[in-house]
Amino acid sequence: MIGAGAPALPRWRRGRAASAALYLQFVRLAFLKMLAYRLRYYTGVVSYTVFVAGNYFLFSAIYASRPEGAEAARLGGLTLAQMIAYVILSWAGRSFTFNNIDRTLSWQVSKGEIAVQLIKPLHVQTMMLSEAMGEAAFRFLLFTLPILVVVIPLFGLAPPPHPALYGWTLLSFLLALVVNAQINFLVGCLAFYLKNVSGVVRAKMIMMEFLTGVLVPFTFFPGWVQTVVAWLPFQAVSYVPVMIYLGQRPGASLADALLLQAAWALGLSVLGRWFWNRSVRHVTLQGG
Amino acid sequence: MEQATTGRPLLPRREDGLRRRLREPWRQAAIFVAYFAQFIKSRLAYRVDFLVDMTANLMSLGVQLLVLSAVFSKVESLRGWSYDQVLFIYGFSLLPLGLFNLVSVNLYGFSEQYIIEGDFDRILLRPVNPLAQILCSSFGTGGINELILGGAVMAYAGSRLGLELGAAGLALLPLLAVSAALVYTGVFLGLTALSFWMEDRLGLAPPVYNVIRFSRYPVTIFSPLVRLLLTFVLPFAWVAFYPAAWYVGGEQWQRVALLTPVVGGLTFGLGYLTWVRGVRRYTSTGS
Repeated sequence: MIGAGAPALPRWRRGRAASAALYLQFVRLAFLKMLAYRLRYYTGVVSYTVFVAGNYFLFSAIYASRPEGAEAARLGGLTLAQMIAYVILSWAGRSFTFNNIDRTLSWQVSKGEIAVQLIKPLHVQTMMLSEAMGEAAFRFLLFTLPILVVVIPLFGLAPPPHPALYGWTLLSFLLALVVNAQINFLVGCLAFYLKNVSGVVRAKMIMMEFLTGVLVPFTFFPGWVQTVVAWLPFQAVSYVPVMIYLGQRPGASLADALLLQAAWALGLSVLGRWFWNRSVRHVTLQGG
Repeated sequence: MEQATTGRPLLPRREDGLRRRLREPWRQAAIFVAYFAQFIKSRLAYRVDFLVDMTANLMSLGVQLLVLSAVFSKVESLRGWSYDQVLFIYGFSLLPLGLFNLVSVNLYGFSEQYIIEGDFDRILLRPVNPLAQILCSSFGTGGINELILGGAVMAYAGSRLGLELGAAGLALLPLLAVSAALVYTGVFLGLTALSFWMEDRLGLAPPVYNVIRFSRYPVTIFSPLVRLLLTFVLPFAWVAFYPAAWYVGGEQWQRVALLTPVVGGLTFGLGYLTWVRGVRRYTSTGS
């Protein structure tokens, strides 16, 4: 057998068309890696509880200050109970969809570690997305659920108008996770062009809190702001799933909302692939 | 002649000791100026960073303004506080935050860099106050932006309110801002000092840090329990609302605002005591 030509490569090493099994390993490993650092997330639960509590008290005060006889006690189309549900789901959702692809990727690029990834026979974008999935699985079980267990008894979460919306909300948050991961990947790629990307990452975090609708629902803003954000991908990261839960996407608009998210997920991954291929050619690694 | 020379060193040496003791604070201050100058020199190599910091801070400010204006497009006042008043308080809150961010960079990663990595040994060997060394070994230049932006927001909101600061108001401003910054520093110093007892990173700082963004609103809009917590337990009501109320809250708040230096001193004192006890407990990792 020896000398019978080059040994057949395992299937997963055949060029870029790596098999799904390989990437499943990245999902698994990311999950296990997170598990090793799970202690860190206990104080994270406190952090998110602080966010929910602060917004709860803030919006309670805002609703208490609304003018007498404001139509049916709504602000921006939401009742106080819906607003509290909005706050809880936005932050719980963020605890699930959040990941550090942008930081990790830009760190690897600026430290030159990306070279190690580039010589591996795999698709970096898919690998990072797989890792984000593994991280999200961890986050859902050991971060988002504990946050909900703490926050719901404290502040009360109004159920959606229809029980089926639980399922649609969950699906929508899964799509939100993909959209967020692709946005982060694109931001991370900027490190190929910029020397210091940490400021950009910070600016992105600030803008995302607003543009995803986590801070305040867009219905609080004038029409032109709503039009602008409707054309951006960021609302697919949080605003869309939360509005689905609240029953604000009734009938056919539910399908539209989910399709829009899916379209952004697909569009951004194509864009990410193009940008990555372009950026890699631009790479200059400092030796050492 | 022989006797004179053996006798002489005594007197000047005593004078030297006295003079040295008098000069000691100046010497230390000069060292910190040197630290700062050194740091600025190293930062000037990265001028772009400063611009990026400024842009990020401007964005953060812009987002905050958008949120405030969205809220106030729906309600006329927030439990009696107008948009301009809330805006002024927000602007003021950036001053102590900026001062705090200037010096607190090293508190955030303290346990990792100084305790686990063992850098604290090096600090203890030098004849300069350990805390001052830690705080001054690097500066968060982003804090300077916050000072500028905070001042601009205060000026804008103040002019819309028709505020006359007056000589007293202007003189009080640095005192109030520094006192409020002492509240921040005291709280986070205390939390940092806990890492002398618990080597594993406790991570209490991030949740506490997150409270800051809600303490920029007038504390009276919150429920009595929250008000109590923010006034006495985690005294963040003193970093923005109470001191700023001197300017926008009317007479009944001015007396409360004047307590800010007391609260700042107490909080910092408590934090510093915890720190000193922690330093005494410090045993090197020995690596």
